[in-house]
Amino acid sequence: MDVGGLIGARVSRVEDVRLLTGRARFVDDVREPGMLEAAILRSPVPHARIVSVDVSKAAALPGVSAVVTGAEVKAAVRGPQPVTWQVIPDMFHPRTYALAVDKVTYPGQGIAAVAAKNRAVAEDALELIDVRYEELPAVSTLEQALAEDAPRLFDEWPSNVLGRTAVRTGDAAAAFAEADVVLSAEFRFPRQMGTPLETRGVVATWDPFTDRLDVWLTTQAPNIAQAAFAEVLGLPVGRIRVRTPDLGGGFGNKFDFYGDEVVACVLSRRTGKPVKLIEDRAESFVATVHSREQKVDIEVAARADGTITGMRGTVYGVLGGALGTAGLSPCWVTAASVTGPYDIAALDMNLVGVATNRTPYGSFRGYGLPKANFVHEHMVELLAKRLGMPAHDIRRRNFIKQFPHQSPVFVFDSGRYEECLDLCLAAVRDAGWERIRQDARARGAAVGIGYSFQNEVTGLGPSRIQTFAGSSHSGFDEEVVRIDSTGHVTVYTGLSAMGQGIHTALAQVAAHTLGVPLDHVTVLSGDTDSSPYSGYGTGASRGAPLGGAAVRTAATRLKAKVLRIAGHILEAAPEDLVITDGVIAVRGVPGRTVTMADIGDAAYRRLGGRLPEDETPTLEEREVYDPVNVATAFGCTAVLAEVDRETGVVTLLGYLIAHDCGTVINPMIVDGQLHGGAAQAIGGALSEELVYDADGRMRTRTFADYLLPSAAEVPPVAISHMATPADHVPGGFKGMGESGVIGGGAAIVNAIVDALPEYDLEITALPITPPRLLALMRKGTGR
Amino acid sequence: MKVSLTVNGEEVSASCEPRRTLADFLRHDLGYTGVHVGCEHGACGSCTVSVDGATARSCCMLAVQAEGCTVTTIEGLASSGELDPLQESFREHHGLQCGFCTPGMLATAHELLRDNPDPTDSEIRAAISGNLCRCTGYQFIVDAIKGAIRPPHDGQQRDGVVEPGAAASSRRK
Repeated sequence: MDVGGLIGARVSRVEDVRLLTGRARFVDDVREPGMLEAAILRSPVPHARIVSVDVSKAAALPGVSAVVTGAEVKAAVRGPQPVTWQVIPDMFHPRTYALAVDKVTYPGQGIAAVAAKNRAVAEDALELIDVRYEELPAVSTLEQALAEDAPRLFDEWPSNVLGRTAVRTGDAAAAFAEADVVLSAEFRFPRQMGTPLETRGVVATWDPFTDRLDVWLTTQAPNIAQAAFAEVLGLPVGRIRVRTPDLGGGFGNKFDFYGDEVVACVLSRRTGKPVKLIEDRAESFVATVHSREQKVDIEVAARADGTITGMRGTVYGVLGGALGTAGLSPCWVTAASVTGPYDIAALDMNLVGVATNRTPYGSFRGYGLPKANFVHEHMVELLAKRLGMPAHDIRRRNFIKQFPHQSPVFVFDSGRYEECLDLCLAAVRDAGWERIRQDARARGAAVGIGYSFQNEVTGLGPSRIQTFAGSSHSGFDEEVVRIDSTGHVTVYTGLSAMGQGIHTALAQVAAHTLGVPLDHVTVLSGDTDSSPYSGYGTGASRGAPLGGAAVRTAATRLKAKVLRIAGHILEAAPEDLVITDGVIAVRGVPGRTVTMADIGDAAYRRLGGRLPEDETPTLEEREVYDPVNVATAFGCTAVLAEVDRETGVVTLLGYLIAHDCGTVINPMIVDGQLHGGAAQAIGGALSEELVYDADGRMRTRTFADYLLPSAAEVPPVAISHMATPADHVPGGFKGMGESGVIGGGAAIVNAIVDALPEYDLEITALPITPPRLLALMRKGTGR
Repeated sequence: MKVSLTVNGEEVSASCEPRRTLADFLRHDLGYTGVHVGCEHGACGSCTVSVDGATARSCCMLAVQAEGCTVTTIEGLASSGELDPLQESFREHHGLQCGFCTPGMLATAHELLRDNPDPTDSEIRAAISGNLCRCTGYQFIVDAIKGAIRPPHDGQQRDGVVEPGAAASSRRK
């Protein structure tokens, strides 16, 4: 574990100045010579056969350069949209193209696209496209999809159930047969999405003479996008350049590969010009992947002393009318992680992937973990209530205590769960919440405290295991560290900078390891022509553990070379040298120094007499880091909430997180990630929902419908840190980009339940909006 | 149509269609890409700029409505290579992550500190509640705005640029 120095330092971010002065470059700021702008006509109906698409009037509109239909796009590409996670090998994966071809299977699916001199003209042209639909009955809900006589989404598959599998360990039947207590519950999680404030976008330039494709793309995973373009368009990877501009947030939504970017490429090849396609906010609610929607049925077996001996049940993933690149994998993560931080010997979880006429399911911060967390933390509280024990006693009794621990799927490398719970309880005590609750209750107010405990797999992941788990992408990361002839350092990474501060974090690791000032380090990313290869890109909380580890190892080797050269120049043994602030000195001999600039000069320019004969010129090290295991972070969330009994409005008064992500690179960044994740958890618990009407059409069109929490709804958040390093990760880093969002839902709901003891609420569906809470209260025992 | 206005102290003009929003005009016709468009209907606040001294959602204004106006965008906040106190405080307190909402946040925060130089936390939260941020959870934005309430670094007044530090210190000291 590194202590002192720049690893662990609360330094300001290197990204900030450009962003604060309007000098960043987001995708819509990219302007290529002769560039056209595109727009996509999207189906308003959820389920229909496409009888005809007449684009003649649109094509004739002045200013329009090209119009393409789904059939034309299909003819122009080599294959369908990829599903890069196929966790069930025999699942039906419908072949879906970038635009709908014969059939619409969800509202918002693209039908045709226009490239024109600007977006306004392109949108004008969309209005001139005449599409005849033969509407089919919408299969909009899980119940509709599973009904006996349900209309089928896919002619070539006999059911709306696309696949089934199970996650099993131990003997669940025996655990339930021998249980003193069996509890059950049914959970419903709504459709939600990441809504980065910058929508998705692409600028594609396909040179028709050289077949070289140059794409600016809002992507968290440039190498996955590059491979997907190659697969879909039939081009060699080396002819495809993916550049990632500054990203206005990602949250998983920009991890997935979309048909829209393929459409932009096809339009560019058709016109011979660069084509920009920027999703607008209204269409983002149907065109960007949705997440979270699941039904989870669960049973828990326990002994009278509170030991949980088994869990079983079913996760229904409510998929869309096509599969996104993530396929069913977020739902699989829910099933695989439903035992959470608890040592439960037997698990029998079924997983069912069900297609509906809704937007494809995809990646969103937390992946399947927020649902799994909500389920196990609800069941812990339920068991505590049944047994008349404090919930924390149930947690402590069942916590995993020995590490490494083989969970139903993953090996958890390390953890100190009881200490983390204690840290959270200490923070609650210090904040005086108990007193606040007592005082509030004394005056008749409904104030409660809720908790949740989480653990989380981060730093995905061992490449060979990913292959066996159905990923067509690996989990390694490659980073390059170079010292130039002036002694300054450049780190090259294939990870995407999307606001999470990866440039700062990697710069800190490099500067710390090499012993140079932070402002001597530049981090470059965002261009597959020059960036190293990231097997998985920026997702699965892997930037710090994978990128950090690779930079650390590369920088360590580079430092050894620096010391060998310095030793040669100073006529000292490398092991007697020390680097501080970019100056290499002989330990104990004041004045005998060379600077990193001298070493750079000796390695690139004036080599003679200074670079040892057996050293190659240049100062560069490349590390490919493929982890042997994932890294397990963990945390405890506490929420103080007040409920207005008349209106059902929930006001959060306080929010505390105790968290452990191993060695922290920059505590300020970690805090910011946890705060932001918490805000997303708050929105997910209280207000955010993508709503389809009874006819299966999308009702959510604006931020007045999809209610993100504002500064007025998010309470002050405070973080307590502890650090249990991942021993198998160089540097000990664990990931935490998704942490903040995982435990919030359960903690908020537990606080609401605690605030209203007289109603004996059981809240198993989110978001718990004021009308829904009032309805539950009316059903409760209080009235 | 030709539209002439003053942006960040500079007189500029360009032609655009009557339906062009001020946001698109600033971004695409004049090159002020620091103006960000997050929702195009006035809900997210990313496109907030200062128009004649008051914040405005530039996605909900037509460019032609800004004829003759004085507009300040994020590009006009820092002068001669120095961040202004609010920008500096956002950096110091980690008041931004992806930076997409930041131009609007800064515009709103400047207006707040001009009108209320010593706001409480809840006044800050109320003031920025029309600016959505999906990254930070707002805590560090609140801290950053509070952190900008401090003695000025010899704040120079420039055209269309509010110097919150100067205003704040005169009230507090």
